[in-house]
Amino acid sequence: MEALNTIRPELLTFSREQIVAISPYIWLFGGSVLAIVAAALRVISPKWPVFLITLATLIAGTISSFLLMSNEPMVLFSGKMVADVYANFFNLIFMISAIVTAMASLRYLDDGKIQHPEYYLLLLFSVMGMMLMASSLDLVVLFIALELMSLSVYVLVGFRRTDRRSNEAAMKYFILGGAASAILLYGAALLYGATGSTGIRDMLAFIQKSPEGVSPLFVLGSWLVVIGFLFKVASVPFHMWMPDVYEGAPAPITGFMTTGLKAAAFAAFMRVFVSAGYGAGLAESLRTHLHDILWISAVLTMVVGNVIALTQTNLKRMLAYSSISHTGYLLVGMIAGPLSEQGYAPVALYLVSYAAMNLGAFVILTILAAKDDSGLNLHDMSGLSRRHPWIAFSMAVFMLSMAGIPPTAGFAAKYYLFYSAIQAREVPLVVISVLCSAISVYYYLRVLVYMYMRDPVESPSGQRVSIWAALAVAAMVALTLQIGVLPERMVTAARKAVISL
Amino acid sequence: MAWLESHLLTATVFFPFAWGLIGLMIPSGNQDPKNAQNVTKYWTLIGTIITFLLSIMIFNRYQAGGPEFQMAETVPWLTVVGISYNVGLDGLSLWLVLLTTFLMPIAVLGSFAAIEIRRKEYYLFLLALETGMLGAFVALDIFLFYVFWEVMLIPMYFLIGIWGGKDRIYATMKFFLYTMVGSLLMLVAIFYISYQHKLQFGNYSMALVDLYRLQLTGGGFWAPQSLLFLAFGFAFAIKVPLFPLHTWLPDAHVQAPTAGSVILAAILLKMGGYGFMRFAFPLFPQGLAYHQNLFMILGAVAIIYGAWVAMVQPDIKKLVAYSSVSHMGYVILGLFSLNTVAATGAYYQMLNHGISTGALFLLVGIIYERRHTREISAFGGISKVMPLFAVAFMIITLSAVALPGTNGFVGEFLILLGSWKTSPLLTAVAALGVIFGAVYMLWMFQRVMFGPVTHKENEDLKDLNFREILVLVPLIIAVFGMGIFPNFVFDKLNPSIDRFIARSTVAVQVQTASTQGLLMAKGK
Repeated sequence: MEALNTIRPELLTFSREQIVAISPYIWLFGGSVLAIVAAALRVISPKWPVFLITLATLIAGTISSFLLMSNEPMVLFSGKMVADVYANFFNLIFMISAIVTAMASLRYLDDGKIQHPEYYLLLLFSVMGMMLMASSLDLVVLFIALELMSLSVYVLVGFRRTDRRSNEAAMKYFILGGAASAILLYGAALLYGATGSTGIRDMLAFIQKSPEGVSPLFVLGSWLVVIGFLFKVASVPFHMWMPDVYEGAPAPITGFMTTGLKAAAFAAFMRVFVSAGYGAGLAESLRTHLHDILWISAVLTMVVGNVIALTQTNLKRMLAYSSISHTGYLLVGMIAGPLSEQGYAPVALYLVSYAAMNLGAFVILTILAAKDDSGLNLHDMSGLSRRHPWIAFSMAVFMLSMAGIPPTAGFAAKYYLFYSAIQAREVPLVVISVLCSAISVYYYLRVLVYMYMRDPVESPSGQRVSIWAALAVAAMVALTLQIGVLPERMVTAARKAVISL
Repeated sequence: MAWLESHLLTATVFFPFAWGLIGLMIPSGNQDPKNAQNVTKYWTLIGTIITFLLSIMIFNRYQAGGPEFQMAETVPWLTVVGISYNVGLDGLSLWLVLLTTFLMPIAVLGSFAAIEIRRKEYYLFLLALETGMLGAFVALDIFLFYVFWEVMLIPMYFLIGIWGGKDRIYATMKFFLYTMVGSLLMLVAIFYISYQHKLQFGNYSMALVDLYRLQLTGGGFWAPQSLLFLAFGFAFAIKVPLFPLHTWLPDAHVQAPTAGSVILAAILLKMGGYGFMRFAFPLFPQGLAYHQNLFMILGAVAIIYGAWVAMVQPDIKKLVAYSSVSHMGYVILGLFSLNTVAATGAYYQMLNHGISTGALFLLVGIIYERRHTREISAFGGISKVMPLFAVAFMIITLSAVALPGTNGFVGEFLILLGSWKTSPLLTAVAALGVIFGAVYMLWMFQRVMFGPVTHKENEDLKDLNFREILVLVPLIIAVFGMGIFPNFVFDKLNPSIDRFIARSTVAVQVQTASTQGLLMAKGK
């Protein structure tokens, strides 16, 4: 708040290094503005100008984030935001998710007769929100970023305007998401009241300076913030919105939500946790509290997600519940993070792997979906290996990866995560996790059963596969196998990212 | 060639899969797709034969008196947790590698006629399976072993699920889930011990030679050694399979295509026994000592139970499947007797079981292809119409009931001899199993082969053709070869068995000594 009283010139101008450090954001912002203009060109073609600008923007952002991966962390805007390896690592996830989503959507929107340029625009906005979420150091900035992301996604979820389920999903998501944001904001307000600052690092400094400052107000505030995050990542018991929303949203958007949105929520979650000194600076009692909340939530999330997924016959819904269960594994990583020598690196690796395999799976669903996302039942997958051998193969790779079977990304990531949990001496938790993941094998393999072991049926799904979507699937298969066979580079990157926190 | 010299194991392990991938690129041919698929099967046969030749090279280079793990290669894989690509070979691995490469061409040749749909995928899965199995047998990094162990499941899952019998989907799911549950608990144990290594020695490692040096607390059920042993033992006991965890086996065996059953019985089940010998025993000797009796009793129960259930089966394939339960009971009994004689016998029995049960499944497959039924009651008097088939069946049956002169005798005799030292009572029970074994096998043989030809359909069955003779002859040679010259195997096996026994029993002595010390202290 001091910035309001005294004007400091260095806060008003950017140095060259700072400009470089925020270049991905600048690219994205500039691209969004350009895309708004291009959206006006819809008279020429509703998709190509915006689509190409979106793609170019995201690729430019990806490249600049990639180049910044080795830079030193740089605190910007008087400590409201930081551009470090961690932020750039997650920026890559967000932007690549968005690229894949955009590529998958092109034919999908045509088929659904909903090809409007705003779609790509909203995609860019939400990516911007995610990127800010991963790099904000202040609860207020975090909140704004969260809203930027969420509001764009609310619209995207309801993008199939004539479909009632899509509308319902958007409405549900809007109301419950709003409630979650409110809880988060209320928690932030309480924390501000307790510590006198909304900056995460300031709060830590305050607590470290006066450990007796852990007042009931502070505890309540941090509880609410944690619950807000748990809501966003859809962990049990805050998961009820998720299956309906995932089922109702257009297939590519569901894929984008399961990867980008989840990664963003976890990125912010981790940053708040780590920066707030969870494990290092916090009082013992508070730490045990948070540990217990997370522990119970993780177990519930894994059990409920996996068990309910067993009975699903709609693939989107099944993947929604599977997404809940993966949240559970990620929470295991969050619990283990501060206590294990691997730190939070497994969580970061898991998010990358999950993004790769889940995006891939949803792009395939996008390809197979008929009008209004019907034709995505298990039954419709029968004999897919004969109608579309390569798509079936890719889907098999993704399913095996989600089930955690080598040599895929899901395997490497899941077991790196469990390993770190063992290091944190959470043996019972790991035993529960592996048993849950044994349950999950059943429903993932069932997809393979239908694709490979049943006779083909006449399916309503569109038979043309767009080249863009095929390219996206191929890239995700390559990434999934690459992380699975040679995880070393990705693990190193994840470690570097997490250490920079 | 120099590269091959220094990477012989890697080359052997990955050759089949690479060969299969190249085979995928053989164009299907527009005019006659069937021809192109024929090319695939010969291509696969050649690939498996080359793999066999590579394994002969390994056999020649292996020195029985040399260092423990030979032809080792190490490449860092995931350094942050100490995982490396680390392969090497000792006597325990050597013979199972040879068994695998020896049986694969036979399994491939055996499925030439049986597999009519989607051949390209079928043969690719077979080759992928071979890579997985060989990898698991030579892996010296415990995590690498786990990876191969899991990778193996995928091709087998498809082999049963696509080309299997009527209830194939149920069977393949059951097979996959059973194995998965067991192996996941093993994985937790793997992580635990590798973290213990970090705590005790300060660096991350999953290499077996490093883990052998670990000192883990033992004594009591809740001690780490005992729990870890159970976690590993659970995974391996499911694979063996040990009573009462065997229920996936009859389903999987009966539903699998012939080659699938052969590989499942002959090699995948051995993975369980091998896992006990390589990992569970030497890593947790005190846990072993604590659970020794339990496993020995279960082994003896499996022998009798498997035999009894086999006796009443109406279906030949199911009978053979239950005979596997019984035979693998001997292996467990021998291994847990923990002395050189019994362990040698158990290992030998694993090889025997691979050859004779593999051959039995092939024979059942041959008759099934002709009659499309496996009910014992549908046959009778087959020896009159198919004399060659009957002779081959007879030889293999005798090997399975352990007639002296065949391979089965050597194994069972050594097991019973060795286990007598540890537990005379259980040995007596197991010896009863030998009798039951003879009963169910010979009774089945009699009902199928002898008597009048009661069914019209059986009257003009064709005898073995040239391909089928080619499939069976190597197995019959192996039956007699291993029965008459067991030392050929033992020469390159014994040093490794000695090491295995030394590692697995050392702690038992320590424990007894300390118990005695305790008693003496109390006495004072």
